[in-house]
Amino acid sequence: MNIGLEQYLIVSGLLFCFGLLGVVVRRNLLIMYMGLELMLNAANLALVAFSRFNNNLDGQLMVFFIITVAAAEVAVGLALIVALYRKRRSAHVEDLTTLKL
Amino acid sequence: MNASLIGFEIAVILLGLGLLMLDLWTPPERKRGLGLAAALSLLLVLVATFVVPMPQDATGFSGGYVFDPLALFFKRFFLVAAILVLVMQTEFADRIASGISEFYALVLFALAGMMFAASANNFVMLFVAIELITVTFYVLTSFQRGRQASLEAGVKYLILGALSSGFLVFGIALIYGTSGTMSFPEIAKGIEANHDLAHQGLFLLGIVFVMVALGFKIAAVPMQIWAPDVYQGAPAPITAFLAVGSKAAGVVLLLRVLLTAVPDLAGHSAKLLMTVSGITILYGSLCAIPQRNIKRLLGYSSIASAGFLLLGLSALSLNGISAILYYLGGYLFTVLAAFLVICIVMRYTATQDEDISVLAGLHQRSPLLATSLTLAMVSLAGVPPLAGFFGKFLLLKAVVESASNPDFHSAYYTLGAVGILGVVISLYYYFGVVKAIFWSKAPADLSPISLSLPARLSLYACIAGMLFLGLYPAPLLDLTDGVVKAVFK
Repeated sequence: MNIGLEQYLIVSGLLFCFGLLGVVVRRNLLIMYMGLELMLNAANLALVAFSRFNNNLDGQLMVFFIITVAAAEVAVGLALIVALYRKRRSAHVEDLTTLKL
Repeated sequence: MNASLIGFEIAVILLGLGLLMLDLWTPPERKRGLGLAAALSLLLVLVATFVVPMPQDATGFSGGYVFDPLALFFKRFFLVAAILVLVMQTEFADRIASGISEFYALVLFALAGMMFAASANNFVMLFVAIELITVTFYVLTSFQRGRQASLEAGVKYLILGALSSGFLVFGIALIYGTSGTMSFPEIAKGIEANHDLAHQGLFLLGIVFVMVALGFKIAAVPMQIWAPDVYQGAPAPITAFLAVGSKAAGVVLLLRVLLTAVPDLAGHSAKLLMTVSGITILYGSLCAIPQRNIKRLLGYSSIASAGFLLLGLSALSLNGISAILYYLGGYLFTVLAAFLVICIVMRYTATQDEDISVLAGLHQRSPLLATSLTLAMVSLAGVPPLAGFFGKFLLLKAVVESASNPDFHSAYYTLGAVGILGVVISLYYYFGVVKAIFWSKAPADLSPISLSLPARLSLYACIAGMLFLGLYPAPLLDLTDGVVKAVFK
């Protein structure tokens, strides 16, 4: 079987949907955060595939930016989640109830 | 490559780094003053934007960065906002346990991100600018690490912000894949050469995803969920910067993407924009009614404002865009005045729950604070003769003008009616705040509040801005008309 752009896009779309599902369904902050990373990586895969099949490198360049930014985001994000965990002893979204009407 | 184009951004970033270095040699008791030093330096950068000759319309960095009148307008806007926010931060400094210099420096880095956003001309620049703003704000929102509300607001902003980034990058990937380019003007050319592109499913999905992410930044329905919680939990100066800077950055990127990259598509999506705008106005206005926390109230009011900004966009006319810029100009002074007052009042109040009732008797404690907050609320409500009135008037006028378009005749009139309904509802909750200042029973604490000189000057500047833009709209209106005509022919 010849692997073409469509196959890459299907995998990337599936990854994106799984990531989104993880964010929507799971209630643990860390797992939700993993889902978010999955969404970013789905976009990376799509960008690289498009870049290969469009014959220009803009997409791959963008991937480098995304990886770098994602690393920064994870560093900040995990620090925040840890700080919250220290305070609440919990990483579940149901416990985030200080701010309500 | 032309490095002089990004001179202002470089100056801001160097200032931020310099501040972090200076922190090492500053004794702890004087660190607070670094904020004022930074504000003064930003004032110099602001003056430089008027003095230094800059090209009228230049692009650099392989077309990714554009320096045009729109970019310049927003760069000045962000600089003014950051100056006032820094003054606010020095008022807030005693509630930050440690790392006050980082508190200032991060605002400068966010400012640099906003200034880059004002000039973004391709999706790489858009993404990096947005992320620079958002990641900085994750840290700033949760800066009061000891306060649970602050941490919680930070985590909520983090999860929803990262979600919107996910949509953004996937949208960019789809747009890039179908059009073969990242650059806004190139995409527009691609659509012109091949009209099928604009109707391709994946391309449209990409545009929708990018719109979702930008909708998150300006807090428009359906991505508005974060706004009330984050506005309430974040430190007051940061809430102010979120409300003004982050929102305006979203607006300028929305304008760039919709009007530079996909101008035809913007015309076809009028119905969608109208619906989102109407729902956003009603959601923000209605949900604000029962709020007792002043910052949360302003959070909902900020959602309603996002609806009004979209009103101008859905008018699909140059007047609409010009009205957006005018509205933002008035919004800057109004919202910053309100948060400056809140920030100072909370400093002298024992309870930290920011309930509206702490404003009781403010006119006896400090007439200037009471006047500023009253004017800000009246301006936000859109009562003449203040800046907010003229902004909303221009937006509604643009919508009614567009009603001459036979296709959307009734839709535009409905939208205008929804806008007016939103204004009427908002009168109720804004005047609730005014009522709390002047007519509440038995205020507990009547100790006078003394204002520092920078705070007083900032309040005077905000009041002057609100009055000037309300009474003499011509200068700014000429400016925004000129900007819009020069950029979106």
